[in-house]
Amino acid sequence: MADAADGRDRRTIARLTEELLPTLIERLASSDLGELEVRENGWRIRLRRPDATSGNGETRLVPGTRAAPDGRRPETAERPKPAERHARLEPPRGIVTSVAIGYFAPRDGVAAGASLHKGDVVGFVDVLGVRQEIVSPLDGILGELDVEPGQAVEYGQPIGRVEPHA
Amino acid sequence: MFSKILIANRGEIALRIVRACRRLGIAAVVAYSEADRESRAVQLADEAVCIGPAESRRSYLSAPAVLSAALVSGCDAIHPGYGFLSEDDTFAEMTRAHGLVFVGPPPEVLERFASKAGTRTLLARHGLPTIPGSGMLRDDAHALAEADRIGYPVLIKPSAGGGGKGMRMVRSPRELQQAMTICRSEALSAFGDDSLYLEKWLDENRHVEVQVVVDRYGNGVHVGERDCSVQRRHQKIVEEAPSPALDDGRREALTESAITAVVAAGYENVGTLEFLLDRDGNFFFIEINNRIQVEHPVTEMLSGLDLVAEQIRIAAGEPLGYSQPDVVLRGHAIEFRINAEDTEHDFRPQAGTIEAYLPPGGPGVRMDSHLYTGYEVPPYYDSLLGKLIVWGPDRAAAIARSRQALDELIVEGVATNIALHRALLGHSTFLDGEFTTNLLDRVGSGAFLAAARAA
Repeated sequence: MADAADGRDRRTIARLTEELLPTLIERLASSDLGELEVRENGWRIRLRRPDATSGNGETRLVPGTRAAPDGRRPETAERPKPAERHARLEPPRGIVTSVAIGYFAPRDGVAAGASLHKGDVVGFVDVLGVRQEIVSPLDGILGELDVEPGQAVEYGQPIGRVEPHA
Repeated sequence: MFSKILIANRGEIALRIVRACRRLGIAAVVAYSEADRESRAVQLADEAVCIGPAESRRSYLSAPAVLSAALVSGCDAIHPGYGFLSEDDTFAEMTRAHGLVFVGPPPEVLERFASKAGTRTLLARHGLPTIPGSGMLRDDAHALAEADRIGYPVLIKPSAGGGGKGMRMVRSPRELQQAMTICRSEALSAFGDDSLYLEKWLDENRHVEVQVVVDRYGNGVHVGERDCSVQRRHQKIVEEAPSPALDDGRREALTESAITAVVAAGYENVGTLEFLLDRDGNFFFIEINNRIQVEHPVTEMLSGLDLVAEQIRIAAGEPLGYSQPDVVLRGHAIEFRINAEDTEHDFRPQAGTIEAYLPPGGPGVRMDSHLYTGYEVPPYYDSLLGKLIVWGPDRAAAIARSRQALDELIVEGVATNIALHRALLGHSTFLDGEFTTNLLDRVGSGAFLAAARAA
């Protein structure tokens, strides 16, 4: 099973690299975008232009289903000015974000101070009666939640923060 | 009337719907993907909610995300705009099941008009001449048999969606077999549905469509026709009204038979009946669009109607309140689709930051666009940056104003097709009103551009 899955993964990576990447690189080069991200079937390709804020240009290929929701910008009260946009790409580490739009429900027994592993379920978003898991982005201690049980949350909204173990 | 509407779309049409809501005193909630956080519609909306990542399948095409957004924001209706979920009868049904109103035809009407082959049969029964075509194709053998029956050339078309994706014209069984695979995969990736059908292809045809507005009580009017014959790879790029190819007699025959047939067939809300017009002025019904269309402003310029507001009023159950003699069409209007595409490199779609944006102005000039200086055009969606619509008392005046408006329009930062529009306006085929749908592809857009440069 694992071999079959690995083979599939390898084929997907090969296909994405050969078919999609050249197009994306071209698009990025012909634009002023700082970053370009494409998600397909649980895979995510992100191209980032080398600039002052992100150091080296990099291409990352990660399976989206297993990746932490790290590419998301946390909700802020202020709208960034155009010049700041390229700087927003890395959100603060440890922010737990909602995976959908719906109503938030914490997981029973998980509260501030809980020790979590990366991928542990922190709570759920109820989308039309279907619960979707919100997971911890890293190993650490959960801080106070920013959201009350039953509160409406949107996609990408910060729910709370996990402080990494020192 | 509704108190709050969720707008499940993006770009210029999301902005257009915000404006209609404002006019009607309805609060507008814009549902946006992560890639559209900085969009003009989000900025202008009364509220905005992020429904998912850039990928449409998980945001604008996700029925649960859109419905959940409408519920958590306390909306009583959803406006789907065009594309995305706008003609999805299952989504309309789900909307109703959650106690919300779908702004468009009600689910049972959408379902009745969902199948293109079924709609052709239905409207033929109500007196419309239709283009010969097939039902849904089961496999290649079925396609070959149907093409044989219809007669080559035929056009392969996807059952779901529009916009030229998954469409190919073929002249032989060999071409048909080759194209089927490509069309299936294009249709699947664009609409999540790879079912195809065939339509007889008329060489040298024109595309003319009739705008209709029908309320729940069987009152309906047509708002004239639009000519959308300037196309590139089956995608409309310039639309105008009235059609230069119709005289008054044929125009009346077309528009009257269209409105009579759809009212009799039980259509409801704003819609468009598309026809092909052959060289001899015969028209053939091809399909109905059960939604607002990109080119609707052309008709608004002639009629003074706000078609998006009409959609909302009718969906709320209001009676039409006017009849055919009240619909007066004045002058001539032309719409230019301004796309972010590189005309020098096979019209490749462009993404990037808009470094300067200055829309044109003056009498009869309307620009529907979500652009602003500093806006980042995301690479994930279609390339439409906006629409320039120009009105004049007659076609010559509309063309003269259009030239001036296109010269004034400044979009910097991404490559656009503005030069192609200027080139079209300098070409005798367009000036004489002689465009046919395959002309740009047959002659090549490059030829038009080169001719304009040489002039």
